[in-house]
Amino acid sequence: MAATAMDHDGGDMVTPGELLGNSLTLVAGRGAYTEGRSVRASVTGHRRIVPPAPGSDDQRSTVEVVGHKAHGAVPQPGSIVIARITKVMARMASADIMCVDSKAIKEKFTGMIRQQDVRATEIDKVDMYQSYRPGDIVRAVVLSLGDARAYYLSTAKNELGVVSAQSIAGGTLVPISWTEMQCDLTGQIEQRKVAKVE
Amino acid sequence: MESRRPPPSPLVDSYVVPGDVVLDLSEMTNQTIKLGTGLRQECDTIQATSAGMLRLSKPNKYWVESSQKRYIPSVEDTVLGIVVDTKPDNFVVDIKGPNLAFLPVLAFEGGTRRNIPKFEIGTLIYARVVKANSIMNPELSCMDVTGKAAEFGELKGGYVFDSSTGMSRMLLSSPTCPVLEALGKKLSFEIAVGLNGRVWVNAPAADTVILVSNAIMRSESLSGIKQRAMVENLLERLS
Repeated sequence: MAATAMDHDGGDMVTPGELLGNSLTLVAGRGAYTEGRSVRASVTGHRRIVPPAPGSDDQRSTVEVVGHKAHGAVPQPGSIVIARITKVMARMASADIMCVDSKAIKEKFTGMIRQQDVRATEIDKVDMYQSYRPGDIVRAVVLSLGDARAYYLSTAKNELGVVSAQSIAGGTLVPISWTEMQCDLTGQIEQRKVAKVE
Repeated sequence: MESRRPPPSPLVDSYVVPGDVVLDLSEMTNQTIKLGTGLRQECDTIQATSAGMLRLSKPNKYWVESSQKRYIPSVEDTVLGIVVDTKPDNFVVDIKGPNLAFLPVLAFEGGTRRNIPKFEIGTLIYARVVKANSIMNPELSCMDVTGKAAEFGELKGGYVFDSSTGMSRMLLSSPTCPVLEALGKKLSFEIAVGLNGRVWVNAPAADTVILVSNAIMRSESLSGIKQRAMVENLLERLS
């Protein structure tokens, strides 16, 4: 079998379901799971044993399955994502997630920003039209896996919100405060929930 | 505030077409100009984006008045809508605009979860536009600003027909437009005009409704005198 381009620690190639060891001697790590007394692989890759952390109670080694072809980034609760707003409605906005933790994604994920997650203060007085417009690029944090259709995102922090946007006249919007951006062609001010960029 | 007034645009009260430069801003400094519908700022000039008559409301509000069959929702317009669907929180109402409008089930005087009105599909509603912008569905309300029902709500019976938006504004203008004045002298009827290009007429007798509707439909391009003459003509045929 040809070795993959990813680096791996020499272990054997394993496939999902293959028995890696006994749960009395091994802890299931990344890419593995415990079933009764056995530890089995859940993905295709190479087996790697990680020695136990010194001073921890559990003296069993951890077995991991590494080196499988990366599936691309998957949003997890707490990760920072960059998304493009696709639809703005009265109580929520939909967005297409484009990057997760500065890694571009390979499959399409949809996120949803609810009215109460737009900002931290006065959440019942949020006007979605003055926070986002379709086409805006926003930085948000993933709150949870959400429902079958979309992840729940939040921009309720200073550094989260609209990062880049186009004005009605077609020019680029430049942030001037956390609620306003100005068009560089016409000077018109538009309202957005702006991210504070350091 | 500048003590010197900005010179009004030379095109005020004349017809403009899209692309006409209405104002050149490079000569003005520190002025505030308010733009209504049909105008857009292009770097240093204000240009018209729709065809119609340019109007100025002193001191500094400009807009283009045009008449179309299609309605673009704007806030505080009173419109006639037809219910097309009911959802748990809203009625979905067609107001002849690019999007369907939502009428919250609680947006009625004294509205609570227990006394939600039962509107069937096809009900005609007179309502007020509360929220309207280019990206979201407009939101309506059957209450006025103070929370009273005013005359909003369901309109029963009568006859509905379409008009252009300019015609609706003419029917609602004050002093009363000539055709309505002439009709009102001889006939008794009730009428509701939606700024979205819909008119509702109701009267006890069917031939009154037909006469009033026909008179209104024919009066769009007629001057005041011609409107009165046309109404006289129609009334003679009736009696």
